[in-house]
Amino acid sequence: MASVLAPPRPKSYDDTFFKPISLWLTTTDHKLIGIMYMTTGMLAFVLGGILALVMRIQLAQPNLKVIDAETYNQLLSAHGTTMIFFFVTIFMTGVANYMVPILIGARDMAFPRVNLLGFWLIPMSIAIYYAGFFTGGAMDAGWTGYPPLSTKQFNPGLGVDLWAFSLILWCVSGIMASVNFLTTIVALRAPGMKFSRLPLFVWAQISTSILLLAVGAPLAAALFLLELDRQAGTTFFASNGGRPVLFQHLFWFFGHPEVYILILPGFGMVSEIVPVFARKPIFGYTSMVAALFGIVFLSMAVWAHHMFTVGMNIYVETWFMVMTMLIAVPTGIKFFNWIATAWGGSIDFQVPMKYVFGFMATFLIGGITGVYLSSVPVDTQLHQSYYVVAHFHYVMVGGSVFTLLAGTQYWFPKITGRMLNKTLGEWSFWLFFVGFNGTFLVMHTLGLEGMARRIYSYPGGFGEEGWGATNMFITVFSFVIAASVLVFIYNLVVSWKHGPPAGDDPWGGNTLEWATTSPPPPYNFDKVPVVRSNMPLRDMRADGLRPPLEHQALASHNS
Amino acid sequence: MRGQPWLRRALISLPLVALLGMTLATAASAAEGGGSGLSPIVPKGNSPNGRHIYDLYLGISIPAILIFLLVEGLLLTVIIRFRRSRQPKDYQPPQWHGHRLLEIGWTAGPLLIVFFIGLFSFITLQRDYTAAASDNPDVDIHVVGHQYGWDYTYPEGFTVSSEGLQPTPLVIPTGKLVRLRLDSKDVIHGFWVPDLAGKADLVPGYQNLMWFKVDRPGEWRGECTELCGQGHYTMQIRVKAVSDADYEAFKRTSLEAKAKAGAPSPSTAPSPSAAPSPSAAPSGSPGASPGAGASPSPRPSGTGYSPTGQGASSS
Ligand code: HEM
Ligand SMILES: [Cu+2]
Ligand SMILES: [Cu+2]
Repeated sequence: MASVLAPPRPKSYDDTFFKPISLWLTTTDHKLIGIMYMTTGMLAFVLGGILALVMRIQLAQPNLKVIDAETYNQLLSAHGTTMIFFFVTIFMTGVANYMVPILIGARDMAFPRVNLLGFWLIPMSIAIYYAGFFTGGAMDAGWTGYPPLSTKQFNPGLGVDLWAFSLILWCVSGIMASVNFLTTIVALRAPGMKFSRLPLFVWAQISTSILLLAVGAPLAAALFLLELDRQAGTTFFASNGGRPVLFQHLFWFFGHPEVYILILPGFGMVSEIVPVFARKPIFGYTSMVAALFGIVFLSMAVWAHHMFTVGMNIYVETWFMVMTMLIAVPTGIKFFNWIATAWGGSIDFQVPMKYVFGFMATFLIGGITGVYLSSVPVDTQLHQSYYVVAHFHYVMVGGSVFTLLAGTQYWFPKITGRMLNKTLGEWSFWLFFVGFNGTFLVMHTLGLEGMARRIYSYPGGFGEEGWGATNMFITVFSFVIAASVLVFIYNLVVSWKHGPPAGDDPWGGNTLEWATTSPPPPYNFDKVPVVRSNMPLRDMRADGLRPPLEHQALASHNS
Repeated sequence: MRGQPWLRRALISLPLVALLGMTLATAASAAEGGGSGLSPIVPKGNSPNGRHIYDLYLGISIPAILIFLLVEGLLLTVIIRFRRSRQPKDYQPPQWHGHRLLEIGWTAGPLLIVFFIGLFSFITLQRDYTAAASDNPDVDIHVVGHQYGWDYTYPEGFTVSSEGLQPTPLVIPTGKLVRLRLDSKDVIHGFWVPDLAGKADLVPGYQNLMWFKVDRPGEWRGECTELCGQGHYTMQIRVKAVSDADYEAFKRTSLEAKAKAGAPSPSTAPSPSAAPSPSAAPSGSPGASPGAGASPSPRPSGTGYSPTGQGASSS
């Protein structure tokens, strides 16, 4: 590889950040690409969050007219698409881009230039989607874009086309990244890093990549066929002779695994963080890996649980119901293994660990409501109601976002060489935890009482006015989330410049990233590490190559 | 963590207090029959199929609540008992790597629970969600959705149209098996009246089935549940169950109005939707007399599709 182009080894990113902009535009260093992925994801989070706040203001009381109905539908679609495709997936890809090569002791990704191209497709994809707002109306058929509503007949504007094109690019980028991750992990492991010694975050990335590889193409295909319907007059999905429901099958064949693409890296982060802060090895390594693959397999066999009301044969529905319920089993294994890992430990509740426990406490609720939803008869009540909105935010925010914030807090010292401010970290955690539950818990009950989702307003006249107070409560708490995100981002920015130096290993970690400097040098390791177990740093401590744990004092005193 | 313990405690208790308050509010408002959006459970369902969903929901809640309490309890125990500040200074955590029996246990336990949930769900599914469940309806109504309203065509041949925010009720008799054959003129809609039963989609191209057997007179709200355009939220529904005598009277006036107008839609102004309605769009009309078991319903017969469009005559 082009080693002559390597930038000089920075002492910290203060030295390079913003300096040669050409470095950021052309770098193939997986770490810098990772940072760009994460930054893009974080900006998308802010953008999607602002859209959500506007929607929440509109919904705060019955019959408000803060925005008009068409705008609501556009914001709704943009919020869903942004959060799923441009925030969580992209942020997780960024973390993996940064950490996976280091965790396996490699110098870079297997295909650095593919990595570069894959990243730059993402800003393009986002720009194309948002161009809709400036070309006469963005996508307004929800993030799922079901035809016939998204066909030309009912949606003649450019918004749908931009959405489809944007997501096709996104799929191409995702497939590139998946191939790159899998090749890297198979081919570039350090000496002694057998598969049975891979950190669980790397296993999670393997399963995520397999999933995206399997389902990215079907999504691109569905969108391509939809475009043919729109532009070439075919009738794959159009209502005059086509089969609208076929699109739903294709979409959800991607869409359900996608939620696991969002959460599996988070599971991996949790599996890294709990052992470090509890000072115990992970409980049930093998069953953790088996559970990941159980999830990969099952998640591709459950898609039609999103379609229990379209009128399928009941035996087909039973299959999808049973498969969906079965996912509770591997997920339960992971949960109990994490608890067993923490059990009997000497737990230091640093901010990352708080986020992990916040994750377990809330994601559990999303998992349980998922079992209700998987029961076909019950789903015919709950489907497309606010109960579902509550459920998937518990899964995607309570799950993916909590873990992603945990991972960010955990690896920030490694990436920047500086510690985050702890007080601000505590504030961002508690505000997020309270704001999140305040916002989404009562959405369940609104749905149970009959409030449909994706509605611009609830007109009232038949008791719906009574929902006003509850909706106001939700809107108020959604601003608590916004406050938490502001504190979090402020902390990132300020600590990156002014935080106290972190040293190589502030938490007393187990895995290889803590064996190198913070931030790591361009090729990650001055000397290729040799691995003897799945906790190589612990081995180094035992061999006297690293200071013993008691001296890892930095993280424990308040900064 | 050394921060301000009182602050932390206050923040933790905030949602709990809010929750408690809301539970009380629900109880209070449930007593007077109004909705505050805080009901912890699905509506009881004034139709047997709705009530079976309610029962199933309660049944699932038993293991669900137990597991919730168990896991949150374990988490709290870990947080309280195993924090470093609570451990002796030289405490060395045991280095367990796993435990075969435990791991098998928490694989088999959930497996058993979901087996029973699946079984009871399947029983309900087979009882209420097949075509056979509404094979011989007393009243067979054809419901066609469009942007943004509903047309209810009764077996007697008259049609009631309901448009937008001031919905005209779908009038049905109490104590009778009412079947709805659902169909759409344009995009996908969803028919949902929470206080009666579950929902079903109206997909252009085939008919979906749904039924009620309402046990008492009353009027209930509902709405379209599938995003169908700008006016989606206006697509409200009312269902009114009346006694046999009132139902006969309703049919009589509707038929008279139809005769007088010489056109359908007596109850409201016809107000045909402005939505583009393709001439080729399937009207899914009952022309082919799908009254009996061999109806083009997708649920029982397997394919999931039965494009009407072709050959179906328009009423
Ligand atoms: C952080 C604060 C957030 C707030 C206040 C919020 C709020 C909302 C609201 C009000 C809706 C519209 C519900 C409706 O009209 O049906 C919505 C929909 C949605 N949200 Fe969020 N959300 C947040 C974060 C997220 C995150 C992090 C994700 C994903 C990772 C997400 C994914 C979605 C999706 C997929 C939809 C559905 C869009 C659709 O129906 O097409 N949200 N959210
Ligand atoms: Cu799913
Ligand atoms: Cu509709």
